[in-house]
Amino acid sequence: MKELLKVNLRAHFIYFRRSRLLLAFALVFLLLTLLSALPIVFSPSRAAAFTGAKQIFSTLNMFLIAFSAGLGLFLISSHLRDRNLKMVFTKPCPPTLWLASTYVSAIGVSLLLNVTILACALVMSLLGHTKVQAGLAFVSFDTFAASVGMIAYLMFLAMVMHPVIAVVFVLIFNPSTFYNLQLWVQAVQSAGRKSTILQVFERLFHYCYMVLPMVHPFSRQTQAIHDSLRVAPAEWPYALYSLGYALSLTALSYCLSLFFLQRKKLI
Amino acid sequence: MIVAENLSVHFRRGLLGPPIKALDGLSLHVAEGDFFALVGQNGAGKSTAMYCFLGLLRPKAGRLRVMGKVPELGSKLYGSVAFLPEEPHYDLYLTVEEAVRYYAGLYGKSLPAKTIPDVLERLGLAEFKTLPLAKCSKGMKQKVGIAQCLIHPATLVFLDEPTRGLDPIIVRFFREVLREIHQRGATIVMNSHVLSEIEMLANRVAIIEKGRTIAHDTLENLMHLEQETYDVAFETNGDAPEWVSVQARQGCVVRGAIPAARLRDFMEFACQPGYRLLECSLKKATLEESFIKILREKAP
Repeated sequence: MKELLKVNLRAHFIYFRRSRLLLAFALVFLLLTLLSALPIVFSPSRAAAFTGAKQIFSTLNMFLIAFSAGLGLFLISSHLRDRNLKMVFTKPCPPTLWLASTYVSAIGVSLLLNVTILACALVMSLLGHTKVQAGLAFVSFDTFAASVGMIAYLMFLAMVMHPVIAVVFVLIFNPSTFYNLQLWVQAVQSAGRKSTILQVFERLFHYCYMVLPMVHPFSRQTQAIHDSLRVAPAEWPYALYSLGYALSLTALSYCLSLFFLQRKKLI
Repeated sequence: MIVAENLSVHFRRGLLGPPIKALDGLSLHVAEGDFFALVGQNGAGKSTAMYCFLGLLRPKAGRLRVMGKVPELGSKLYGSVAFLPEEPHYDLYLTVEEAVRYYAGLYGKSLPAKTIPDVLERLGLAEFKTLPLAKCSKGMKQKVGIAQCLIHPATLVFLDEPTRGLDPIIVRFFREVLREIHQRGATIVMNSHVLSEIEMLANRVAIIEKGRTIAHDTLENLMHLEQETYDVAFETNGDAPEWVSVQARQGCVVRGAIPAARLRDFMEFACQPGYRLLECSLKKATLEESFIKILREKAP
């Protein structure tokens, strides 16, 4: 089992290393970050340097979540598109193990990038002679948890639909869309228009908001930490809650992905 | 080794499209040590049958046992199975050597260090071992497929159109490899349109048409379905007997064929004065002729 996992992980890491699509994705992200970092080089004050560094850290973390989602999406969709899974499952390598290896490899790469970004942030803090904030570690951990959740969710979507449709689905059908729709319906209702259809829609949007995976499930409680990079001892449990949410989402996505993988025509 | 009874597989084109019967009550039996060939026209259901045997497709109805077990994806059953697909659907981001190592590694057993380099050398892939599969020709990808089949000594080997896209030298080498694997005691199940190749290798053949087995016998029995005839040529100034099917007549030389049962009559006829026997040879029946005859007679 261990040997099989190792063999699959090695193959997935080679895929990540050689995927031109992922490389292009990463280069675009880096280019955008570098462009946004240019003003910091010319920043006159330490405060401006801190704000700039915080901005870069935040941008990189945001990109990391999108990139991690891409890791999961591309890995699954490329294997399904190339129809090479029949070579794997006609060997004594069960789908449970292969799927687990895809999750582990994508999460591993995401963790590596996460650590790299954190290291860059620390270096920037030291170079800018600004105080190293504990919030950096918190935000990094929170971003990692969000990345894990997004990897799992996109892997599941890639298993059941075309990758382009999966991306469009995530962009359109996300919790904030339904939250805004729910607010809109509530506003219409409070303006005096009451009908059964509006009530049904209000409930429907609410349930969609509750069911769809969130990138940052505790954003209200942690937004201040992301903004100031300062974290109080009482706020640390939120990082663990985020990880718990991400792991639950991963477990659910894994089970659903496995269900669909075993029913897919792999010929 | 493989028992398939009344297997049915239906595909649907689109969500609302009518179901297409890929297999419609297919039954066959592959015994241990057989070199079994599945023969049929395009779309007859040969590959679908093989995918069912490999567990890649679940039959809608019927009973299927491979080595006494229901084939399940990635089960331990595959520890002694090798499969060469028709299309080179491999992990194209890997190099030749990485791919062979990866597929060999999926058996979960450690190999002696020299096994993979030896197999690559034997198939002429050693000098291309660092070439990504995406840049390999179809023939080279097929060789990679053959290599991953040879790495572990399998007891059941599935080959789906194995020689498609290969050059004659490697086809010949591949045939020798298959004979070697078969002589070692492995059971081989092969799909192929190259009937001459099946004649050279297989000992049992199933002819499939529209998802059903219309003939299932030893190669010898199937080839004797085509009535034996003799090709004859003789000189005469008169007419040929009615049981000689004349194919050509050049002056007084007649060329044709006679049924084997008429050989004695023909010899007596040819020994008459005014007649001269030029040629009389047994025409060997081919699988191709038997295949066409069976299709004409038994196709549903």
